[in-house]
Amino acid sequence: MRWDITEKALHSEFLRTVEQRSGENVSSCYQCGKCSGGCPVVADIELTPNRIIRMVQLGLEGNVLRSETVWCCAACGTCNGRCPIGIDIVHIMDVLREMALERRVVPPPGAAEVLMFYRSFLDCVKEFGRLNEIALMGSYNINSWHLFCNVMKAPWFIFKSKITIAPHKIKQIDRLKRAFERIEELERKK
Amino acid sequence: MKYGYFPGCSLLSTATEYARSGEGVLNLLGIEVEEIDDWVCCGATAAHATNHLLAVALPAISCSASEKQGLDVLTYCTACYSRLKQSNQVLKDSPELLQQINEIIEEEYRASERVLHIAEVLARDIGLEAIKAKVKKPLKGLKVACYYGCLIARLPEKLRIDSGECPTMIDDLMRAVGAEPLDWPFKTECCGAGLTLARQDVVVRLSGEIIEIAKENGADVLAVACPLCQANLDMYQANAEGKTGKQLGLPVLYFTQLMALAMGLGPEMLKLEKVIVDPMPVLVEKGLIDRGVYL
Ligand code: SF4
Ligand code: SF4
Repeated sequence: MRWDITEKALHSEFLRTVEQRSGENVSSCYQCGKCSGGCPVVADIELTPNRIIRMVQLGLEGNVLRSETVWCCAACGTCNGRCPIGIDIVHIMDVLREMALERRVVPPPGAAEVLMFYRSFLDCVKEFGRLNEIALMGSYNINSWHLFCNVMKAPWFIFKSKITIAPHKIKQIDRLKRAFERIEELERKK
Repeated sequence: MKYGYFPGCSLLSTATEYARSGEGVLNLLGIEVEEIDDWVCCGATAAHATNHLLAVALPAISCSASEKQGLDVLTYCTACYSRLKQSNQVLKDSPELLQQINEIIEEEYRASERVLHIAEVLARDIGLEAIKAKVKKPLKGLKVACYYGCLIARLPEKLRIDSGECPTMIDDLMRAVGAEPLDWPFKTECCGAGLTLARQDVVVRLSGEIIEIAKENGADVLAVACPLCQANLDMYQANAEGKTGKQLGLPVLYFTQLMALAMGLGPEMLKLEKVIVDPMPVLVEKGLIDRGVYL
């Protein structure tokens, strides 16, 4: 990938915003690469976690927020455990995802499905208070047909009674919905 | 000892065998649990990957209910454990955030209780000696690769209950019930976790590698503590075989199922039939299970 390191990017607000929102000292990363050495998804992404950190330092906002990495990070925390200066990379990834969402950045194809899955998951929680695999697959499948087909290739999943059919709904579902709405309202104000 | 039990969504569906076997083991050891009143989903990766406030608010609702019941929180699922524990900690650390969350969830939560994982309750609160005393049928000769995954191991340092790179808590539990825990290098490698449906390619590769390494190290079974790890490691073995051409076929059991087996609990508590890669052949071969009882 071509990195357009410009004077403008270097002096942009991006680095400072990420540092402020995550409370992490991104500037202190000295690119040892240990985070990426342990990262389980590096084989599947173009930009390794240490590169993402470097790009944040260089103010390359667009490239970072559009990258597959921020969505394909499994949040396993290996990078955090290995970083010699204790940078909370997982938290930085969380912040980057939130910023990508706020700025309505269109995620790359391999990442869009991850986002869709997260959305379906949370829709289900908002509706029932708990996750039910059938309901989840229902709403997920509306968004992403071929993934539903993937799931259906595994009939044992149903046969082995891995899944319950009836959704469990909590009692105080209205209170939960209000909580969701308050949070959505706060997001809109950002 | 009594705890506020947070089952989490998986334990009601894909992981009922974890719920039943864990419940059986705790009962035998004299531990009482009371389900947390009207608990809600912890939000898992979906919440914390997309919305910080939601990721703290969802666990706070359940933890607040447990606090009202006057009980510490007990979880089985390591994903729930990680979310609940981290949310509880940030609220302990930040009174302003606590106030904001209380307004959002309409509670007066104080974040005063502890959040515990069942492995830690068994290994620490109850202790290995008490467990050994309850063993009826030691799992002699069973080589177990204990797999911790990332969620227990990689909590922020001050919340960690075991080593981040080489945890031993489940190994200790396995040794206490007479099994032979293996020294193997993939204890804390990530299985791909929540990417399971959206990025199956990634999960098949990661889970396949873990199974392969466990087999190379001589494992008879893999012992896990997380419903998502169990599902990923168990159900994608055929896909991984198709990709690499290597024969896998390693049963993936919850560590509580193995404990329950050693403590002489019956099939209805073990629910071994729910596991996809059939554990019967190896358990029968080792003389740990009487086939007649199960079939
Ligand atoms: S948390 Fe994300 S970036 Fe860090 S090692 Fe795991 S997958 Fe890689
Ligand atoms: S491990 Fe830490 S210091 Fe090293 S490259 Fe990664 S973030 Fe930078």
